[in-house]
Amino acid sequence: MNWKLAILIVAALGVVIGALIAIGVAPSDAFLQILKGSVGTPGAIGRTLRETTPLLILGVAVFLGLRGGLFNIGVEGQFLIGACVAASLGLKVPGILGVLLAIVGGAIAGALWAFPAGWIKAYRGGHEVISTIMLNNIAFHLTTGLVAGPLKAPGQQSTTTATLTDSTKLPMLYSAPPLTINIALIFALALVAALALWLKRTVAGYELNAVGANPKAAQFAGVDVRKVTVWTMLASGAIGGLAGSCQVLAYEHRFYEGFSPGYGFDALGVALLAGSSPWGVVPAAGLFGILSTGSSFISAALQIPKGLNGVLIGLIIIVFAAFRYRRSRSNG
Amino acid sequence: MSTIVSMTGITRRFGAVTALDQVDLQVEAGKIHALVGENGAGKTTLMRILYGGLDADAGVIEVEGQSRHFRNSAEAIASGIGMVSQHYSIIPELTCLQNLMLGAEPGLWIAERDAEARATELATRMGFEFSWRAPAGSLSPAGAQKLEILKLLWRQARIMILDEPTAMLSPADGDALFVSLKQLAAEGDTIILVTHRLPEVLQHCSHVTVLRGGRNVAHAAIGEHETPDAAQLAAWIVGHEVPEVQIEAVAPGKPVLEIRSLRVRGDRGEEAVKGISLRLHEGEVVGLAGVDGNGQRELFQALIGVGTVLEGSVLLDGRDVTRDGPVERLRQGVRLIPEDRHEEGVVEDWSLELNAALGLQRLEPLRSGLWVDVGERRALAGAIAERFRTKHGGLGLPMRSLSGGNQQRFVAARALALKPRVILAFQPTRGLDIEGTLAVYAALRETCRREGVCAIVVSFDLDELLEQCDRVVAINGGALFEPKPGEERDRAAIGRLMVGAA
Amino acid sequence: MGSFDLILLLKTAPGLSLALLLAAMGGLTSERSGIINIALEGKMLISCCVTALMSVAFGPWIGLLGGIGAAVVLAMLHAVLTQMYRVDHIVSGMAINIIAFGASNFLDKKFTDINRTGEIPQLPFEFYYVAAFALPLVLWLYLRRTKGGLRLWAVGNDPDKARQMGVDPVKVRYLALLATGVFCGLAGAWLVTNAGRFVDGMTAGRGFIALAALILGGWRPIPAALACIAFGLLDSIQLQLQGSKLLGAGIPSQFWNSLPYLATLIALAGLLGRNRAPAGLGKP
Repeated sequence: MNWKLAILIVAALGVVIGALIAIGVAPSDAFLQILKGSVGTPGAIGRTLRETTPLLILGVAVFLGLRGGLFNIGVEGQFLIGACVAASLGLKVPGILGVLLAIVGGAIAGALWAFPAGWIKAYRGGHEVISTIMLNNIAFHLTTGLVAGPLKAPGQQSTTTATLTDSTKLPMLYSAPPLTINIALIFALALVAALALWLKRTVAGYELNAVGANPKAAQFAGVDVRKVTVWTMLASGAIGGLAGSCQVLAYEHRFYEGFSPGYGFDALGVALLAGSSPWGVVPAAGLFGILSTGSSFISAALQIPKGLNGVLIGLIIIVFAAFRYRRSRSNG
Repeated sequence: MSTIVSMTGITRRFGAVTALDQVDLQVEAGKIHALVGENGAGKTTLMRILYGGLDADAGVIEVEGQSRHFRNSAEAIASGIGMVSQHYSIIPELTCLQNLMLGAEPGLWIAERDAEARATELATRMGFEFSWRAPAGSLSPAGAQKLEILKLLWRQARIMILDEPTAMLSPADGDALFVSLKQLAAEGDTIILVTHRLPEVLQHCSHVTVLRGGRNVAHAAIGEHETPDAAQLAAWIVGHEVPEVQIEAVAPGKPVLEIRSLRVRGDRGEEAVKGISLRLHEGEVVGLAGVDGNGQRELFQALIGVGTVLEGSVLLDGRDVTRDGPVERLRQGVRLIPEDRHEEGVVEDWSLELNAALGLQRLEPLRSGLWVDVGERRALAGAIAERFRTKHGGLGLPMRSLSGGNQQRFVAARALALKPRVILAFQPTRGLDIEGTLAVYAALRETCRREGVCAIVVSFDLDELLEQCDRVVAINGGALFEPKPGEERDRAAIGRLMVGAA
Repeated sequence: MGSFDLILLLKTAPGLSLALLLAAMGGLTSERSGIINIALEGKMLISCCVTALMSVAFGPWIGLLGGIGAAVVLAMLHAVLTQMYRVDHIVSGMAINIIAFGASNFLDKKFTDINRTGEIPQLPFEFYYVAAFALPLVLWLYLRRTKGGLRLWAVGNDPDKARQMGVDPVKVRYLALLATGVFCGLAGAWLVTNAGRFVDGMTAGRGFIALAALILGGWRPIPAALACIAFGLLDSIQLQLQGSKLLGAGIPSQFWNSLPYLATLIALAGLLGRNRAPAGLGKP
């Protein structure tokens, strides 16, 4: 711990605590209520796990990109596209076949949506962050246009698709209302494990890590850096799309305008907090899930606007990013 | 004559390493003063301290009799000290004029016409010519060097530090540079020349200070009765008589690598390699002598399968591999010791163990199917670290915990592992001390002899190649020149080939 | 309504371009100094919120100053994080956007005076017009003809070499981000002045469109400004077509909204010419 970092942490805490005091809420009270609203009751735990699922899958998507040297800020767009495609496929083809189709379709759609960013980075030298920001905005407008037009459920006032039939939903693994756990959560955890194994034990994972850590050295080591870059982006996008599929099939059961409350951006924070191991994504996603569910709870219970959660998450990202830099430098 | 710069008792440590230990330097006004020493002797460190780029742990700096402590380059510039570092500080995207002015602009508002007039005046004084509105990226190395000198004059520097100014220049451009420097000295400016080229020192300088291992070794005036000769200087620099290496003669085996009229395109679209033919045999270590930037890089790129071959072919064990990519070449046994190990040879954040597989990751036994064989990798890492006695604290520690020389040992040893056929070494001894240099060459020769392998070594140091390689050829302007029969070990003859003067 | 009105189009387009122009110039100073700035959106948004709150409480001038001040605070946070803490430019920019979105929501919900929800006090529109359309010209001159402009250009291209020449890159970047804060603050103040009240997330991606214009304009002030004006024109065409029965009325507005992003994507793919990003963009 050094003084610079200490100042940053104190300042961040000061901002949050100051904001709470300014609106007349005791900070300790807010903290306890966040815990109560996120892990205090079986129902709260269920909501937190539900909130954690997309963060987990999207966190894996971003993490994979980061390992390969790509900042996939576009998971938000890939998530929307994946969800939209999954919903329309699931509505067309009901049953288990529809579920499979929706999962695969969502992943492919996400990958295709990420492809331009990977290609531009590899062959045109354009920064992937800029291109994925553009793709996010296009995805937002495109899906909104679709759900307001061709995909809109007949007879509905709001811009939404129809709801999936029960046979096209992902089942609950554990259901004792109010606590329910969807199988999608297990699926997400399995994805983390698979990624961890793949990165550590396969030649392709080794080469992807090399491209991310030192692209020039990777090139001299016989790795086709451009090809790896495009494939990394495709894989990251596919996982992003997959997160959208899961969200539709497991929880939302439809697609509508304003489908994502910004999961994609929170997932960037999750991946950064995860550090250098894929397993780090799990606690990071859990933390963000707790904060999100808890802050929804206190916005009703204590009249604290939900915006404070954004401030808190932003500050956590900043502190952690500053900390990580210091740690990696102190090795040298 | 008056002393203009006086550095006394300068000490600087980097962690546990003492880079400078009680070093003194006295420079007289209006002279060209040479500062010589091996790589790592502390020359550049000492100059960076004088120029405010680095702090000394102890010692006193006096400029024109006044005690000074520069906290940054701006303060040094204000006191009339300027430095041209080995890597030019010219920004290619700016125009020549903007580069000239940067950091010393005539005012808040820049009247380009006036500035250009002043710049032209300065250039004319030195006999230079510039098109000031052109981007500086279009300058030749010699043009860039001239612009760097004008930048010092623009800042009214009276004490100029030049770090290896002729490293990137042709001999003719180098000579022209010294004409300019002598003119400056005649006008009363002081020049400190950091170099390791002894002829420059003896021909053009009036004083020489020799550093070795961060300590003062000698100080002498040149052109007076006690003038040291080149042998004496070399002995000071190296510390002991250089042992003459006796390379046992090798009977050339069957050909391994054959290059036939190879033409390669460079990064800027020019033809960088112009029809090179060369045959390497089993057991042979061939030195490729030449000034930097004469096509060595492009030739190596073509040989590892990433270059753009325009014409000609590369044969490995009689098979045409010209069209094969880097992955196939690695499998065929082509190994590279890259020029810049930080950037190209290792991943500094990775452990030694992970780095051991870099470049070999797709080869048996490190790979089994799609999977990495972790046990084999660990064993290989141990063997690589053992080979040149790389000093490390554990195979699990990150590469950045190793010193530069130890990283170089690691990279060199890796290139000799897992049955190579051809070893391409680009300045394999950069940053190594003499002991390390000898070890790398010995291992290279031993591997070639024992395993029937061949190697090409690129170095900008002709003497090193002549001492260590079985055969030396020269490269100049993208073309290859083999010495005439009877001149294979003739330093002067090969030197002429290197600069196209034969 | 009902027919295509060219006069109305030309009247509304400059207003729609204004915020883009100001924000794009803010992006220009930042990116020319080498700092990738994806946080224009957040800096604008916080200014919208603070301008609205302070205009109601203290009048339009104090409101404007407050808005600029808030954007400058975020810009300085960006500078401190990237220069002192060496945090990645993208990560810090993203965090600032998240913070700005949250903070503006928080401030608006908690401190808006419910008894005074009417129109907020405004500065004359001409003030913003003059500022926004003069700025690209001023910046163009500044970059070409002044010491500060030369140093900004140099630091963005190669901070290490600039340091060797006695230029302090950190100082240059702090000043560049200060300018970014001021310009984004102005942009946000204009948005809220034009809209009459603060709405959550009211910048609606304009910070990213401004970034897009900056890239399309090759990081040069005049072309970037032209791109902003073109995007403003596009926006006003789209508004006109909504509810009109003319050709193109069947195209959903989302298509028009996507065009700036699509154009930038195509530009990034190199289909509109060479990429001219500052060489040192993103270097620490």
